[in-house]
Amino acid sequence: MRMKFTTVALLSSVAMLAAGAVQAQQITFVSQGGAYQEAQTKAILNPVAELLGITIRQDSSPDAWPVIRTQAATGKPIWDVIDTPTKDCIRGGEQGFIEKLDFAQIPNASDLPDDYKSPYSVAYEFYSSVLAYNKDKYGDKPPQGWADFWDVEKFPGTRALRNHPLATLEAALIADGVPRDKLYPLDVDRAFRKLGEIKPHITVWWTSGAQSAQLLADGEADLVMAWNGRVAAVEKEGAPVGYTFNDGLLQFTSLCILKNAPNPDTAVKFVNAALTPEIQANFPTYIDYGPANPAAYDTGKISPERAAQLPSSPANAAVQALVSEEWWSSPEGEEAQRRWASFIQR
Amino acid sequence: MTLSRSVLYGFVALVLVWLMIPVVIIVPMSFSDSRFLAFPPPAWSLRWYEAYLGNAAWMQATRVSLIVAVASAVIATVLGTAAAYALNMTSSRLVRNLQVILFLPLVVPIVITAVSIFFVYANVGLLATMTGLILANVMLGLPYVVTAVLVGLRKFDPAQEMVSRSLGMNRFRTFFIVTLPQIRPSVISGTLFAFISALDETVVALFISGGEYQTLTKRMFTALRDEIDPTIAAISSLLTATSFILVMLLSLNARTGGKK
Amino acid sequence: MAVSHTGPEILHERREQRLTLLLLAPALAIVICLLVLPLLWLAWQSIRADGGFTLVNYQRFLTDDIYLISFLQTFRIAIIVTVVTLLLGYPVAYAASMAPRHWSVLILAAVVLPFWTSVLVRAYAWLILLQRRGLVNSALMDMGLIDSPLLLVNNEFGTVLATIHILLPFMVLPLYATMQKIPRELTMAGSSLGGSPVFVFTRVFLPLSMPGVIAGMVLVFVLTLGFYITPELLGGGRTFMVSMLVSRNIEIYHEWGAASSISVVLLLSVFLIFRLSTKLVPFERIMGTR
Repeated sequence: MRMKFTTVALLSSVAMLAAGAVQAQQITFVSQGGAYQEAQTKAILNPVAELLGITIRQDSSPDAWPVIRTQAATGKPIWDVIDTPTKDCIRGGEQGFIEKLDFAQIPNASDLPDDYKSPYSVAYEFYSSVLAYNKDKYGDKPPQGWADFWDVEKFPGTRALRNHPLATLEAALIADGVPRDKLYPLDVDRAFRKLGEIKPHITVWWTSGAQSAQLLADGEADLVMAWNGRVAAVEKEGAPVGYTFNDGLLQFTSLCILKNAPNPDTAVKFVNAALTPEIQANFPTYIDYGPANPAAYDTGKISPERAAQLPSSPANAAVQALVSEEWWSSPEGEEAQRRWASFIQR
Repeated sequence: MTLSRSVLYGFVALVLVWLMIPVVIIVPMSFSDSRFLAFPPPAWSLRWYEAYLGNAAWMQATRVSLIVAVASAVIATVLGTAAAYALNMTSSRLVRNLQVILFLPLVVPIVITAVSIFFVYANVGLLATMTGLILANVMLGLPYVVTAVLVGLRKFDPAQEMVSRSLGMNRFRTFFIVTLPQIRPSVISGTLFAFISALDETVVALFISGGEYQTLTKRMFTALRDEIDPTIAAISSLLTATSFILVMLLSLNARTGGKK
Repeated sequence: MAVSHTGPEILHERREQRLTLLLLAPALAIVICLLVLPLLWLAWQSIRADGGFTLVNYQRFLTDDIYLISFLQTFRIAIIVTVVTLLLGYPVAYAASMAPRHWSVLILAAVVLPFWTSVLVRAYAWLILLQRRGLVNSALMDMGLIDSPLLLVNNEFGTVLATIHILLPFMVLPLYATMQKIPRELTMAGSSLGGSPVFVFTRVFLPLSMPGVIAGMVLVFVLTLGFYITPELLGGGRTFMVSMLVSRNIEIYHEWGAASSISVVLLLSVFLIFRLSTKLVPFERIMGTR
């Protein structure tokens, strides 16, 4: 009896190994973890795995950049595709850690505007740094944009900004009268000058998305620059919080493939499938972030009401400014980041 | 005299209450129904205990933290007691000056310690391993054990060891039969401090733990960047309760042991 | 048979010494491998660039004002924290040393109780209590003491408050250890000779408790210099202590040279403080082993 059991076990494991060899198509996909990764598992990863018949193994890393560098240094990375701020894809590409994308094999990417692509990356999902405010405080005269955020006479109250220059410098320039479509290259001196004006009125420089949500939920800050998904979540909890996409700073994370990735062919197939309009249209069902493929809005899967809440819907995108990750990964952008710490402390 | 006495005791009571406040408000916060940390909570529920106990990742982190804390406290106790014993019996000035090294983990700013350990581990491949975590916490626990045991040994009358050895017992037997029972409260308090320091250690863990071997504190720190919800209050309440029971048991043990 | 008496004794002494080193070795080895050697490497790293000697990492202390700002803020916070913990801790330790035994056990238990709650969680507890609409501000407003909420957190005040909370036990315990050893007969003799309580306290008790005061102050000051979690969570982005400067340089900029020079300067300050204080009180006393 015992012998028999061992034999069966042995045979079945051999069978499984053989099956594994046939079904060798798999990739390791890396995203930023938390509720966001859970949402995209349902929205994107599971449908893509089914569509292509592949296995998607997941890993998560809130800050992938150091890991990318370490893996690249070994020459044998274990990750295939990463979902990360576009900046990491571009500077990774320039430093030889990230593979160039062959757009001929990614037909779905042709739906995306050129702004959404770089030689190393393609947009995956959109979020926006928006102006959120306390509804109780401002009633029927809510602030409309960054000029109002800077107007401490008309809009008294405590303020919070992100402790990071990206999007914050853009907001300062918009408040100073620079048109949304003429931001780049950023006039860094002018932006810091304008930020200096509002600095005494900032009660908190927040460092994590969770913190910005807590500030809004507790009423600790009346005017907050925060990510739209965070604000929407606080609103859903019943807190008196509103926000506007007007003057919002539209950002996206991108997909890119590591150089010498273990499964390069499947990785490219994955990227293409993840951009399928129907699959992209699943995003809003699970999280308040927008699909990167504009064609997703034409699939009929996203209601007009839902589209109005999403940062990448055509109507909302029109009143926002698209953050240039390319500028931020340029030497000027890196220099602006260095200047940030001394600006905050001074 | 009585007036100044009552002012003194009043002030001390205030300070002690202030010390208790955050510890005390965490418990009601953990039973909150709100998605955000709030005090007083708007409504009551057990959902954050469910969120913690029902989540495999939290459970794994808890396991890692408990194993690390227990293992490193035990190892630090053995090594620290041995070191304290040696420091106490030596007459050499040079050896006694070596103890400064043993106290370094307490006085070197923790970020610098973390960077140092990170550097060593990156070179020998101990990053994100259980061994690495335990070793690091053994080191951080050593100063507590050495301090506590040295204090105990200083109170201990060395003549007792002399007597027992003149009766023919060797050093080791003497230590275990004569010395250890008498310094036991000191050893236990050293172990407890090493245990708490390992359980609560966050900064070094941020640098060296990862993957499967993330400590509870590291997970809490990263989770808090993602969501500030009452889960951490639930975890903290459970941990405090567990450690409290542990201390009670140990101090009971120490007391009965002392009487024997 | 003319073996001198010193023979076995020397042998014995050697064996003792070997045993001593053997017992010390494992503990020392861990600290040396994980801390002493990498610290030396850090120091080496701070003066090396592209295979040559350089002082560029130290020049930044003069050119980049964020270094100076951060060090000044860190030392200011450390001084405030040390003074306030002393003012709060001295009466507590005094009461514990004077009170009947069961009371003193209770006081000490209350002092160490917060140890059992994670530093991380305590930081959030303060955040909730002290924020604009938190319990403290609403209570003060209900009592009519203030008109608009005070900024109690997300700034240096909040950081200092939480730091004091974490470090108070490190002040009370050495103070208590010292006070406990002050013979009662001395203070009693002072009073029986006609000294007023104030006189007895300032002339007899206080001077005798000074070693504990210095030990507590050094410990608290040095530990504050290394604080990281608390300013990160409660500083509102404006409190920028040296530890944060170190970790930013490594995690964001990957600049080991910069991080190591900051570490070296911070470490030297710590060692200098110890060196100066051991002139007043022996090291073993600061660490509480004597």
